[in-house]
Amino acid sequence: MEILEIILTSLYVSLTSTAIASIIAILLAVPFSIKDFKLKRAIYRIADSLMAMPPVVMGLIVFIILSKRGPLGELNLLFTPTAMIIAQMLLILPIIFVLTVRQIEKIAPTIQKNCYMLGGDYGDFLFLIINECKGEIFTSVTSGFSRAISEVGAVMMVGGNIKGYTRVMTTFIALETSKGNFKDALIIGLILLAISFLINIILHSLKGRETNEYIN
Amino acid sequence: MNILIKGLVKEYEKVALSIDELFIEGGKIVALLGLNGSGKTTLLECIANFKGYDKGIIYYDGEEDFERVRNKISIMQQRPYIFNMPVKENIILGLRYQRLDTKIIEERLKKYNSYYNLNFLDKNAKKLSGGEAAKVALLRAVILERPLLLLDEPTANMDIEGTLMTEKLLKDINKEFGTTILIVTHDIFQAERIADIVIFMDKGKIIEMNTNEEFFNNPKNPLVKKILKRGEVND
Repeated sequence: MEILEIILTSLYVSLTSTAIASIIAILLAVPFSIKDFKLKRAIYRIADSLMAMPPVVMGLIVFIILSKRGPLGELNLLFTPTAMIIAQMLLILPIIFVLTVRQIEKIAPTIQKNCYMLGGDYGDFLFLIINECKGEIFTSVTSGFSRAISEVGAVMMVGGNIKGYTRVMTTFIALETSKGNFKDALIIGLILLAISFLINIILHSLKGRETNEYIN
Repeated sequence: MNILIKGLVKEYEKVALSIDELFIEGGKIVALLGLNGSGKTTLLECIANFKGYDKGIIYYDGEEDFERVRNKISIMQQRPYIFNMPVKENIILGLRYQRLDTKIIEERLKKYNSYYNLNFLDKNAKKLSGGEAAKVALLRAVILERPLLLLDEPTANMDIEGTLMTEKLLKDINKEFGTTILIVTHDIFQAERIADIVIFMDKGKIIEMNTNEEFFNNPKNPLVKKILKRGEVND
């Protein structure tokens, strides 16, 4: 029963953080891909660097922000699943953003021009670019999810690994390993691996096989 | 729609386009001829504001602000972008953006598809051949019934039947709506068949512009003379 609870908490936290990060990243990546502005390269490089941010550092930052004396301390979010979602979301946001920009930046201006010439507005363009690049966007989202569900440092710090509340598969594995209980740790590890594979297979099947290409 | 171009310059690594003045009278079919790299596509893309230009002004019926005339211009590019959706949706996408009634959309689709009789309207447009994709892109531009139609080698990938039907379609909409049509082509005979005005470009400049009859019967420029004698506009 405890294992099921841990699995469900893991999925809830990682899927929610991935969904929120994906929406924000895509909404930022589309205008970023079609507009030229002064700090564009700098922002891209910073986001690119943040892709490799250690989860414990992100955990520390979110911990400070959400702790009693932190700017958002009054919200009492520390050691809750919400805090874990925030930490994971911030961790994977640059990953989904940078990968999405890389995938769509070459094609976005062409789609935008064609859309606008046909009389479409920004909303129509947004729909078109997501429709045209859904395979590429799914790849970015899958990468973000993989990172979210497999990280341990950030959720351990801001979630606290509280049994029945904020304990997820990765923190359970870390805890059981430290206690020398390799059997349970290994079982959860295999379940984690299976879930990662399953979610990736689902996302890739949604991706479809169409690719963007110009037709001569 | 009248087009007046003044002092237009577009540069890449070198000057790609340099036009002192060009006036295209509304309601005419204008063929743009020229060797590869002569600036035909660049001119079309500048008029469609697909690419910015370095100097000059383009007036559309006297209007300088492109945003005010955007919805009066249709373009079909040399390598048209076909959206990842069914053929029918590709063709009527612009009509959907106008929030037109479904009945009107269906009527327009029927009217313009009668030229090609495309029987693969439900097929995913990404899987089309070059010729089929060109027809879809052309219908997508034509179906909007806008006053200015810019076409970049629309029949380059089409067979003879498709080419002739395209020419008929262009003549018909020109007659029915007075559509101004600028068509880039490498086919001299096509230009002769459909154009009222023929422009010949070389190295980014217009080296000859005349009425169809004058252009083909009495060319002035030595390069144009040579090419007309040879019978094709290719390097």
